Amino acid sequence: MREVRKEIRPNRAVFEPGERGGLRRSLVRAGWIATGAAAALVFPAAAWAGDDQNALHPASKQEHSISVLWWVMLAGCSIGFCVVATLLLLGWVRRNRDSLPFGGGDRAGTAIVVGLGVFVPIVVLSSLFVWSDLFLIRTTEAPAANSTRMSIQVIGHDWWWEVRYPGGRAVTANEIHIPVRTRVDVAGTTADVIHSFWVPELNRKADLIPGRVNHLLLDADRPGEYRGQCAEFCGQQHAHMAMYVFADPPDVFRRWLANEERPARQPATAQAREGQHLFLSLPCSGCHMIRGTSADGTIGPDLTHLATRKTLAALTLPNHPPDLARWIEDPQRYKPGSKMPGFSLTSRERDALVAYLEGLK
Amino acid sequence: MAVTVREPARQRVDRLERIWAEPRGVFGWLTTTDHKRIGLLYFFTALAFFGAGGIEALLMRAQLSEPNEKLLSPETYDQLMTMHGVTMIFLFVIPMTTGAFGNYLVPLMIGARDMAFPRMNALSYWLFLASGLFMYYSVFTHAAPNAGWFDYVPLALNQFSPGRNIDFYALGLIFNGIASTATAINLIATTFKLRAPGMSMNRMPLFCFAILAVSLSLIFALPSLTADLVFLELQRNLGFHFFDVANGGDPLLWQHLFWLFGHPEVYIIILPAFGIATSIIPTFARRKMIFPLVALAELLVAFIGFGVWAHRMFATGLPTITLVFFAAASMMVVIPSAIQIFAWTVTVALGRPEFRTPLLFIGGFILLFVIGGLSGIMFAAIPFDQATTDTYFVVAHFHFIIFGAAVFPILGGFYYWFPKITGRLYHEGLGKLSFWLTFLGTALTFFPMHILGLIGMPRRVYTYPSSLGWGPYNLSETVGAFILTAGLLVIFGNLVWSRFRGPPAGPDPWHGGTLEWATTSPPPPYNFPVIPVVTSAYPNWDRDDRRADAGRLERGELVLDEGHETPASTVVDAVPDEVVEMPGESPWPLAVALCTALLFVMLLTRHYAVAGIFAAMTLLAVAAWHSQEPQEQ
Amino acid sequence: MSALPHSGDATTPPAVTRIEHTRLARPNGWWGMAIFVATEATLFGTLIGTYYYLRFNNAHWPPPDVPEPKLTLPLVLTGILVATSLPMQLAVSAAGRGRLVTARVALLVAVVVQAGYLGMQLHLFVHDVHEFPPSRSSYSSIYFTMLGGHHLHVGIGVLLNVWLLLRTATGLTTYRMNALRATAFYWHFVNILALCVVGTQLSPRA
Repeated sequence: MREVRKEIRPNRAVFEPGERGGLRRSLVRAGWIATGAAAALVFPAAAWAGDDQNALHPASKQEHSISVLWWVMLAGCSIGFCVVATLLLLGWVRRNRDSLPFGGGDRAGTAIVVGLGVFVPIVVLSSLFVWSDLFLIRTTEAPAANSTRMSIQVIGHDWWWEVRYPGGRAVTANEIHIPVRTRVDVAGTTADVIHSFWVPELNRKADLIPGRVNHLLLDADRPGEYRGQCAEFCGQQHAHMAMYVFADPPDVFRRWLANEERPARQPATAQAREGQHLFLSLPCSGCHMIRGTSADGTIGPDLTHLATRKTLAALTLPNHPPDLARWIEDPQRYKPGSKMPGFSLTSRERDALVAYLEGLK
Repeated sequence: MAVTVREPARQRVDRLERIWAEPRGVFGWLTTTDHKRIGLLYFFTALAFFGAGGIEALLMRAQLSEPNEKLLSPETYDQLMTMHGVTMIFLFVIPMTTGAFGNYLVPLMIGARDMAFPRMNALSYWLFLASGLFMYYSVFTHAAPNAGWFDYVPLALNQFSPGRNIDFYALGLIFNGIASTATAINLIATTFKLRAPGMSMNRMPLFCFAILAVSLSLIFALPSLTADLVFLELQRNLGFHFFDVANGGDPLLWQHLFWLFGHPEVYIIILPAFGIATSIIPTFARRKMIFPLVALAELLVAFIGFGVWAHRMFATGLPTITLVFFAAASMMVVIPSAIQIFAWTVTVALGRPEFRTPLLFIGGFILLFVIGGLSGIMFAAIPFDQATTDTYFVVAHFHFIIFGAAVFPILGGFYYWFPKITGRLYHEGLGKLSFWLTFLGTALTFFPMHILGLIGMPRRVYTYPSSLGWGPYNLSETVGAFILTAGLLVIFGNLVWSRFRGPPAGPDPWHGGTLEWATTSPPPPYNFPVIPVVTSAYPNWDRDDRRADAGRLERGELVLDEGHETPASTVVDAVPDEVVEMPGESPWPLAVALCTALLFVMLLTRHYAVAGIFAAMTLLAVAAWHSQEPQEQ
Repeated sequence: MSALPHSGDATTPPAVTRIEHTRLARPNGWWGMAIFVATEATLFGTLIGTYYYLRFNNAHWPPPDVPEPKLTLPLVLTGILVATSLPMQLAVSAAGRGRLVTARVALLVAVVVQAGYLGMQLHLFVHDVHEFPPSRSSYSSIYFTMLGGHHLHVGIGVLLNVWLLLRTATGLTTYRMNALRATAFYWHFVNILALCVVGTQLSPRA
């Protein structure tokens, strides 16, 4: 029975080295290692360079408050991580001593569990709750009715954005112009599945849900172009459903809007006229609208002022004549699954179509 | 029992061997009701699905390694992304934790000879296997589910997903849910009723508490998923209206019901991991867990998990007051989790920890879980959630939770219980190497995702442009994923090698405190030659009690060698109440599972009349099964 | 402790009675059924929740072209179904006291009434499906889903009772006794469920 007794006792428990520097050194060492490890993990987070769709490059009051919230929470979380890591490292550093550095036994241990596991979280979380969910949330909330200068309607489609301006005369796609330093209400809904409207540098996101209209405030601090992207998985081309928001100085915006409201220009050259004829006789006009012509489709984007846009197919391609030509010939190559079919055209027909469309300023 | 047995004891053990022996060979495995064999079946099946889910992940990482990569088509990517999620959650983590660990360990830890319902246990396994194969059949027909693992409507309605893809998903998960429910019922009844004499509720091992909490969560969470999936199938195939606005439905109904299940699901995934951690830590820290109320914390986590579902829906335009309520509830979950983290770390600090491989994995788990938990708190700050939800920040967060907090303890558990299951020791050096590879791989794979989310990368995109600066982060993640894979391969290489070449382990290589270490490695089919009597929460550290067991074997007390028997006891105090005759091996669970599988295939192919025939056959098989009463065997 | 009763050996009514009397806690089978009922109750909770969710999403409930739910017949039928809890409980206590014949008669009474209820309800169900098919609106969708779920549970309960009648024809064992207890518990649950479902269906009349 002696044998059994010995076997059941915890193994290697007898190994007892001399004191190696005592309390302060082990605490300091454990702390350093933990902080170093945390910094090594967290450091890159502050050092990125991407600046096109970056939630931490705020260009509005709303996004500014979100990014402040992030930095504060990051600081708090780093401290929390270091505390746990320090405790764990203490366990490793003092693996041959069964007490805490300050000599505490089980009672001190229980006090730590209750203190750090119950009281500290209650205090920290209540503060965070009050600050973020009761106060900060007011900046990013849906704007109250009549608190904005303008309301634009954004309708998600598979896989592009329809944008309608007040009065319904100006309709565009994928590129939203807003006046800078003006509160603009985005009223978002969808024509098919759920999408999510998100321009990271300007505000939070809002889901576009069938049967609902969700509101979001855009209020850019400074002129610029802000990239956004659909954030709710919406099918095959979810990846190619991006948009730009252009915050323009007021006079630029007014000129742009006035132009958008006008019907399409008449083609100026013989080639463009041939292109217009082709557009109206090919299936194009069944899906696309060009105001002022007989093309009145509603399945694809409104092309009335296509030439004023920077990009094609929800930012899939730049809007240059060669890219437009490639897109018309084989959209499925650039955006597989898109509703737009490819057309086999002669190079003359293709050039005529491109000439017409690129004249739609 | 390493103790020399005298003649009467040996005769009793021989009798037990005869009574509990199962047929040899494949037939034995097909009809088995031995919880250990079923646990092993679960283990190998879940592992195979883990491999499949891992390959899917690696393919996705390869596609995302560079901007505008064309390795996968968008359709293939969507199918991989959906199957990866479904596989890892429903076919790997849950079966591995409740099915493999729960099945193998719970009866051993509570000193029982089997689960409360051995044949239903076999049924759970066969249903799980069939549901997994059912869902994976879709991959070979190029019609795998492709709407993401949470399958939002209207994208998942036939108008936008006309193929069979979503039907594979919905029917497969209903099917899988039946298996999980059966497992959960079994585990709850087992922990309630089959505990060894003296193992009152407060002496039940913390691992069993975690499994109990998980099973209760499953019982109350799965129905809302099942209802949701039934609604979806009725709408897709029979023209019902639940989710379309035009006919009075609402797409958000899907989300409410899905997350009513889906958020408790997160705790279902990590609670067993907590249980594994609370098994490994006392053993290697060589002391009892400080703050035994951890058990209560485990149950609290599971309970509060039901009150937070809408925090997945902060961007859907719910009223602010609703958001605030759910944000508050989400913050409350932090407290029981924090209690557990500090209980673990303080126990390690107070003990004399021996940093063997299992404890290293638990250390890694604590660090990864703290990161995942802290980023989880951030989502309770509503404005931040609304900015980062559906971005890679979320992907980072839940991979720290699912991979860091759930899978790391599972891997540590493989090492920890490997000697018990195989009777051999693993290679410690390779074990430590595998930990560091896995840990660094995990950090490198998932940490940069936080940054990607903040700089604007939405989740579930199959490609991205080069102009946004996302390339380097994605590349490092892909590299990390392959390092991680290397770590996992070292683990499994180590275990396979050690299975055949490892040194013998003996019954109790770690001097663990729970009862599974009180029997031989591997345990005999009847688990214990004599039912242990328990007087504390760490019964294997009570040497006198274990000596008393040996004495009772000689006297023939609580040996139960007259039949296929185990004692049942009262629910709270574990006063022994009756000796229950356990059913032995039976072919009927397999038959029921087979009929059910065919029923689901017929529902998938819309042969409803034939489906009715298989439903009737399922019922007949169930009747045949129950006509075979234990005492008649 | 060696004096623990071996429930597997109890294959005659008196032996079963002895086990029933010495046992301190409920048997495993009862617990299994209780947990199963918990998950089923949650399922029906979800269905009822969905009913009200959809109701408050629609201005007209039921929609104008759907007749208001009938009041008397469903209530009477439900009352009859709920009453079968009595013979079920009687069967349990009689079997527990070793009176197998009484138990089987009570069981037979219960199953006849339950099967009659089910037949009548299915007839009404088919009639309603023709009048306002589930593909017409979200109202009829949840109406028939909930009702169908309830009828399915009644149907399974009837099958369980038939099976019990067949099994007890050859005598009583603890295994069958436990099955009887569990089935009676299941029926109590189904009956409570019937009240909840009917209450929900009739709520537009309130």
